[in-house]
Amino acid sequence: MSHVLAVLEQRDGALRKVSHEVVTGARRLADALGENVDALLLAGAAVPGMNELGRLGADKLTTLTNPAFRLYAPEGYARAIADRAKAGGYRAVVFAASATGKDLAPRVAARLERPLAQDVTDVAVEAGAVVAVRPVYAGKALLKVKFAGSPALLSLRPNVFTPVDRPKAGVVEVAAVDGAPGRVTVKQVKAAEAGALDVAEAAIVISGGRGLKEPANFKLLEELARAFGGGAAVGASRAVVDAGWRPHADQVGQTGKTVSPSLYVAVGISGAIQHLAGMRTAKVIVAINRDKDAPIFKVADYGIVGDLFEIVPKLTEEIEKLHA
Amino acid sequence: MRIAVCIKRVPDSETRVKIAADGKTLDEAGVKFVLNPYDEFALEEALRRKEQGGSGGGEVVVFSLGPPAAQETIRTALALGADRGVLLQVDRIPPDGWPVAQALAAALRDGGYDLILFGKLAIDDSNHQVGPMVAELLGLPCVTAITHLDLADGRGTAEREVEGGIEVVEFPLPAVLTTDKGLNEPRYPALKGIMAAKKKPLDVKPTALAVGGLDVVALTAPPARNEGRIVGEGPAAVPELVRLLREEAKVL
Amino acid sequence: MREAGRGKRDAGSVVPAQYQPPLPLDRLILPVGAPGAGDRMELDVLIVGAGPAGLAAAIELARLAKGYGRDVTIGVLEKAAGLGEHSLSGAVVNPRAFRDLFPDLADSDFPFRAPVGKEAVYLLTGGGRLRLPVPPTMHNRGNYVASLCEIVRWLGARAEELGVNIFTGFPAAALLVDGERVAGVRTAATGLDRTGKSGPTSLAPTDLVARVTALAEGTRGMLAQAYLEWQRVASANPQIFALGVKEIWETKRPLDAIIHTLGWPLPADAFGGSFMYPLAPTLVALGLVVGLDYRDAGLDVHQLFQRMKTHPLFRGYLTGGEMVEWGAKTIPEGGYYSVPARRSGAGVVILGDAGGFVDVPSLKGIHYAMQSGIFAARAIFQALSADGPTSERLAEYDRLVNSSYVMHDLYRTRNMRLAFKDGLYRGGLKAGLMTFTGGRFPGRRIAMPPDAEVARRVRVAAPFVPDGKLTFSKVDAVFKSGNATRDTIPTHLLVGQDVSRDVADLYARMCPAGVYEVADGSLRVNAPNCIDCKATDVLGPRWTPREGGSGPKYKRM
Repeated sequence: MSHVLAVLEQRDGALRKVSHEVVTGARRLADALGENVDALLLAGAAVPGMNELGRLGADKLTTLTNPAFRLYAPEGYARAIADRAKAGGYRAVVFAASATGKDLAPRVAARLERPLAQDVTDVAVEAGAVVAVRPVYAGKALLKVKFAGSPALLSLRPNVFTPVDRPKAGVVEVAAVDGAPGRVTVKQVKAAEAGALDVAEAAIVISGGRGLKEPANFKLLEELARAFGGGAAVGASRAVVDAGWRPHADQVGQTGKTVSPSLYVAVGISGAIQHLAGMRTAKVIVAINRDKDAPIFKVADYGIVGDLFEIVPKLTEEIEKLHA
Repeated sequence: MRIAVCIKRVPDSETRVKIAADGKTLDEAGVKFVLNPYDEFALEEALRRKEQGGSGGGEVVVFSLGPPAAQETIRTALALGADRGVLLQVDRIPPDGWPVAQALAAALRDGGYDLILFGKLAIDDSNHQVGPMVAELLGLPCVTAITHLDLADGRGTAEREVEGGIEVVEFPLPAVLTTDKGLNEPRYPALKGIMAAKKKPLDVKPTALAVGGLDVVALTAPPARNEGRIVGEGPAAVPELVRLLREEAKVL
Repeated sequence: MREAGRGKRDAGSVVPAQYQPPLPLDRLILPVGAPGAGDRMELDVLIVGAGPAGLAAAIELARLAKGYGRDVTIGVLEKAAGLGEHSLSGAVVNPRAFRDLFPDLADSDFPFRAPVGKEAVYLLTGGGRLRLPVPPTMHNRGNYVASLCEIVRWLGARAEELGVNIFTGFPAAALLVDGERVAGVRTAATGLDRTGKSGPTSLAPTDLVARVTALAEGTRGMLAQAYLEWQRVASANPQIFALGVKEIWETKRPLDAIIHTLGWPLPADAFGGSFMYPLAPTLVALGLVVGLDYRDAGLDVHQLFQRMKTHPLFRGYLTGGEMVEWGAKTIPEGGYYSVPARRSGAGVVILGDAGGFVDVPSLKGIHYAMQSGIFAARAIFQALSADGPTSERLAEYDRLVNSSYVMHDLYRTRNMRLAFKDGLYRGGLKAGLMTFTGGRFPGRRIAMPPDAEVARRVRVAAPFVPDGKLTFSKVDAVFKSGNATRDTIPTHLLVGQDVSRDVADLYARMCPAGVYEVADGSLRVNAPNCIDCKATDVLGPRWTPREGGSGPKYKRM
């Protein structure tokens, strides 16, 4: 028995979306190894939606419950997962490279005395060894690493392992466990300030440049961001930050932030290298500009030429329809 | 307070990445090396805590695992105000954090540190692991990626960013913490500090690393982005764009 | 600020001098002990600028001190964050000064890339070229292609081995004086916000008090200018400057010769030419140098350089390659007649480009800079060993330079660049005559006005659309200089009053880094873009240093 252990995540009693991605990644690995996927969730109590993960490829779905596990308990989680991994003789243990996952995975790795590859964008098996690819040097290169021995520990970059249906048995079990609380206690999760989603963290970034003509017109982009339903942030080119239209914290590129969202929409931005350097690792780039020769179109995956004042509201409308 | 800060010598963030002939490592010709930016927050926090500790004294000791040139990186930390430095000298920093953590833990174990600080990740390999691994090895509590820290009466409260929120975490001292941007504003080096650094102790300890469990297969350039395309003109093109984003790019 | 008699002003022309504020001497010359500094350090010898002149002086001085068993504390202040990051040159280097500084080393030990092999000079036309015989002043046999950045890093390492303290990231912002004697410098403050206010991490300036201060700031050195103006040290002609814009390319096609060109795309009334040198067969350094006395207000050296690359001669090498670095710097061109009457005084010496030791006809300055540093070190050491660095003692430095090949070379070519003030063809003719007669004819000094006093025709320039592959916009170019200056830095440029639209346009075209823009009819200053080339200080707003580490980060320029 050398299956793949997929460590899921919940918050406030609901499965987080990354859990689906973890199962998907684990499934890909398990298929290459010819093994099963055991999904594991630690929570205060049973959490709905576990059976859905069977559709994505989990053979077994275990929730270990303990009141101390309602919120993330770093030491309790690490112990429970490491013990489980050891007992199960797993070939690989897969986490999400979320804020929690990136914290948890190294603790488990150290307990198991095994190496860990964080923020992985691809997994495979080559000549019987687990192989992972991860971006390094701020996404300027890809590093492919091979694990010697077992288990291989990996955390998967969010928004990369798009869930695919691979229906498996999905046997659900829930068990209460004892757990010493651990010395590190999460007291609460405070909400972030409204609208303060950082451009560096957002899955979708909509950036505006001088083409917006004046600061008030950034309203258009804020409306578009809202249409995506949270998870979208509004960024700005250096030119408009210099002009004082937007705060420096929103600047993408040059000495502003480097962002790696799934979707980057550049509105009224010509595409100077310094801006491109900040968003080059975005998964998909869309450009909207009235100048068909603007350099941004050479870098964008998709572009629309035309008046942004007409295009952006139309895009907002279409996205709202999608989410309705 | 006795505080240890673990730092790493990394290529400057603006480095143009060229892959060496072995296909596995960075070509270092012409590369400028700097103190890992996330470690600057750790070092700044350590210096402030020591300064706040007042005349009770205290010490900030900087540790680094790296090649001989990492002495320069340690000197930078000494110039900013650290009291002494220790270089765990190796030929090459391995790609695997586990042997690094083991070597650092061995060097830190008997230091009696109240706090051991790391940057949350190094900007070259972004592996995000050495700090918590060291904590496990030393049996110490650990909080990662902190953006705020309060200490009082042998206990600490830290904040860290999670998706859509801020986690508030409590822990006892001594502890291992890894630092994120926003924790503090690192200081600039002063001329006097640079002069003083030349006289501060820097121990160089040749270090043998444990065998790791991770090997590099290849270091490659990211795939060139496919030629993009103009979907159309004006608002009429928007529905097609949305369709492509959903069905082709799968980002919606 | 208009002064009667400064330049002829027609409708349709601008005279930049009328809009240039003067050097703010009251800020640049401070009595030692003046308030405003946080810390104070004392040294024996302080060198401002870790370029070839400053480092050669440091090395020679440290060597002499060691050899005679004397303890001399030497500090070198460098405004760039790392050694070499603000250094830029062609370059083809005469190894002579290296041999003087390191008599025990061989040429193969020096940080050169390759000896010069083949050379070619061309007169370019729009589509073609005419090969010219290499002028006698430009023969480079025995010289080496090199990167000044690499030279500076190598010299810096030698200096540190000898115990020299090099402080990178610390610009000198003012001279400290004690009566007529220079007593040291004050560094710039760090960490100020956009309005110049200090914050929690701001650092106050530091005073460095020294027995001797060597000003080796390079081209258009601010403190050197301030000293000469304060002490009213004259030169026969004012110093004049050219602006060079340079790129390094990784090419697919190898280059095996050093190439210089004249002619296209320069207008006939502008002085300049281009260079293209192989740092390695497929690592090519190329650039265009244009005198800042150009007559057309619409002339933009960066754009001219971009156009130049489209010529088949350059395009042939660059196609399929990648531009890896870009930068720009001014070059003092006045030669012999622009060198100040004295480059020393009580407690001070002026080295290298800051002293004007550049020979334009041979495009050489690095070995003169180093030689001046070596001479300065010898004079300083003698002075410190005797009754101190008085102006009499330090005048030995001037004597050494004046009786050396440095001034002999400059004298021989003293009128060649100046001849070109009448344009390429008449100038070329005159220059040719000078070459044949060893400088004797035409021999009398040709007078030159300062660049800023030259009137320029206002012209609406054609827009330039870069292709992003062979040609680049200023914004993209600045990115390739490695400039990552923090965006919230206070502006360091002193803009004159009543800058008209025409003058704003002139500034926008003059600056290779896009610092100046005309937005909504008025001048907009993007100070973080500045790469410290100093063209602005010559023709436009005056330059002062920003906090240490600002500006470009050249790697192999």
